Amino acid sequence: MIQETLLDVLASIAWPAAIAIAWTVGELAYRLLSLPRISSYGIAGFVMASSQGGFLDNPSGTPIALLAHFAFGLILFELGYRINLRWLRINPWLAITGVAEASGCFAAVFMLAQAFASPMVPSLLLAALAMATSPAAVLRVANELQSSGQVTERLFHLTACNCVLSLFVFKAIVGYWVLASAGSASEAAWNSLVVIGVSVSIGAAFGVAVPALLRQLGNIDRNATVAFAAATLLLTAVTHAFKFSPLLAALAFGLVARHRRAILSQAQRNFGTLGDLLTVLLFVFVAASLDWQQVRSGLALALAVITLRLVVKMATTTVFARPSGVSWRKGALTGLAMMPMSGLVIVLLEQTRHLKLYALDQVAGLAAIVLLLEVIGPVLTRRALVWAGETRQQEGR
Amino acid sequence: MPLGAFKTSASLSMGVELELQLVNWTDFDLSGSASDLLHLLGHNTFPGDVKPEITESMLEISTAVHHRHAELLAQLRDIRDALVRNGDRLNIAVCGGGTHPFQRWSERRIFPNPRFNQLSTLYGYLAKQFTVFGQHIHIGCTSANQALYLLHSLNRYVPHFIALSASSPFFQGVDTQFDSARLNSVFAFPLSGRAPLLFDWQEFEHHYFAKMETTGVVKSMKDFYWDIRPKPEYGTIELRVCDTPLTVDRAAALAAYLQALCRMLLQRDEAPPVEDDYLVYNYNRFQACRFGLDGVLVHPKNHASRLLREDILATLGKLEPHAAALDSVTAFEQLRHEVSSEGNHASFLRQHFAHAGSVQGVVDAAVTLFRRGRSR
Repeated sequence: MIQETLLDVLASIAWPAAIAIAWTVGELAYRLLSLPRISSYGIAGFVMASSQGGFLDNPSGTPIALLAHFAFGLILFELGYRINLRWLRINPWLAITGVAEASGCFAAVFMLAQAFASPMVPSLLLAALAMATSPAAVLRVANELQSSGQVTERLFHLTACNCVLSLFVFKAIVGYWVLASAGSASEAAWNSLVVIGVSVSIGAAFGVAVPALLRQLGNIDRNATVAFAAATLLLTAVTHAFKFSPLLAALAFGLVARHRRAILSQAQRNFGTLGDLLTVLLFVFVAASLDWQQVRSGLALALAVITLRLVVKMATTTVFARPSGVSWRKGALTGLAMMPMSGLVIVLLEQTRHLKLYALDQVAGLAAIVLLLEVIGPVLTRRALVWAGETRQQEGR
Repeated sequence: MPLGAFKTSASLSMGVELELQLVNWTDFDLSGSASDLLHLLGHNTFPGDVKPEITESMLEISTAVHHRHAELLAQLRDIRDALVRNGDRLNIAVCGGGTHPFQRWSERRIFPNPRFNQLSTLYGYLAKQFTVFGQHIHIGCTSANQALYLLHSLNRYVPHFIALSASSPFFQGVDTQFDSARLNSVFAFPLSGRAPLLFDWQEFEHHYFAKMETTGVVKSMKDFYWDIRPKPEYGTIELRVCDTPLTVDRAAALAAYLQALCRMLLQRDEAPPVEDDYLVYNYNRFQACRFGLDGVLVHPKNHASRLLREDILATLGKLEPHAAALDSVTAFEQLRHEVSSEGNHASFLRQHFAHAGSVQGVVDAAVTLFRRGRSR
């Protein structure tokens, strides 16, 4: 009896303790090794997970997962907010780069998975997920370094582009999967097309309504952070509850808010302290969802996929660099900076739990890719931005 | 390094340099993009000259030597169009204005070249705080002594240029109540202010510059941050007090005004400049920075006080024959309109702050105004 109560108490302390530990590790590793903080959060989360003998139970389906969705929603809102659609129109080479690198990744990774004798559907899912760059990692690293310049700008725009494409393709394949396993064509259509359209519409509606509300209230500058955070929380909860895509909704929210000219001041990047705290939770959550057994089984395929994905992304951004107005070198560095993908994958899979799609078990190599890129991805992004000379001087140049 | 011979130029020829701001389209903060934009411009023909400035979020453009306002304006418009077009390809907005309203100097990145790195080391935070944007106007002189004469004769008119060009009311996120807050940053440098009153180039070169050089304080004319300085390698005097206006049209009009003033001064109808003229110099300068066109000017000769606005209108009237001779009547009309009804660009920015309610909205308005009237 007493023992049970004690266990309950300890369980309730587990997540707050994990966040505190991860934060401390992040600060130490940043100071001693210049390791991006989010890489350390991932390592700490993985080590503390129960599947590795730690004290964190798998967070899938718990309130912690909802908090992680909210954290990711804030990041996608910010990414959407930093996208200038007019740029893609004026410089179509950039849009072409985005489509080319994402579809190139899809094709290459699919063929590779087939060569590793993965079944058809898991190969397709792996290829779809490999298209995306995780917005969480690139935004956090860029904000941490306060970088600005072409690599940074292109990184954001190409990330938004490949996330949207990846979500489209992923949903379409999931539709196919549901169709193949449940035989319901309407459910498949629901999952692929309607979900996307409705998610974007709800996000866009928020993007119109929230700035309008703020304008009515006046004092946009002061209230904006809290208002946008609260709206993102609501948006995430609503779209999740009704099984739409919170990711697309948050991205559309940010994008429309920007183009409605609601101006956020610089102090509000990352959503301040709230964003910082939730980021620790998000990255611990991502890594704590992984099991060493899953990681070990797909290690060879994972290494091959990571290498191929790096080659395809860098080759595409380099080939299109000059036509789109930057040097080969900055083009190549943009591709390098686009390596992270873990956060998006885990959050996306978590949000499609209701489909009973156990991708981490069934898609060979995925867990290993997520773990490796959770640690290496931010490091590569950081190196790319520093090498591009887009960070402030004291940042180790 | 000795000063070198003063090259002679065609009398009253003119050229303009503008330091421009590079800002991002998302939150209108300064964007460290000079290297990227220069790289892209390097692959196309550019209708003028373009150089990096001390921090990565500035760019300096300069025109060729011109004799007429219309030619100068045409080139400045071509330069603007090329900058806007190339900036759009890289998602960079370009604008004028003497300061960026809310940038934080500690976040600026020094442009990677030896001179800028050396300045950054010497001046420390001053170098980054010097992320301010000015217009420099060159007027060609037929001799070095003519240059020194003009330089000092202009002392009483310097406040005109400060008030007419003022476009830096906001600094570090607040309204400074100055029309030109930029000049306060320039004043922080030890070698700013006015040139010593010498009229003979030999004396200037051997008794002043050479002595300063032996003190080790200066190495070249570039180390002086004077309001007006001689530029021997171009054969010009360079007026440096102007904020970069929000439009290239105003920049060209200011150059035409200076050209006409020099034409009048070279007739030597006015009493020659003396050291006592400078007794009121800093006060008048302050009035122009603080109150713009509403500042009060003390005449250096008769010590009469007069509103800057009135003094400029009177001077514009007096210069009319010179403007006609130099073909710059349209520039004078623009300036008269600015002084009598429209107001300077500092008041434009304040109006937009009142309207938008945020300093980001101020930059948005500056970006829009800079682009207006493009041919493409």
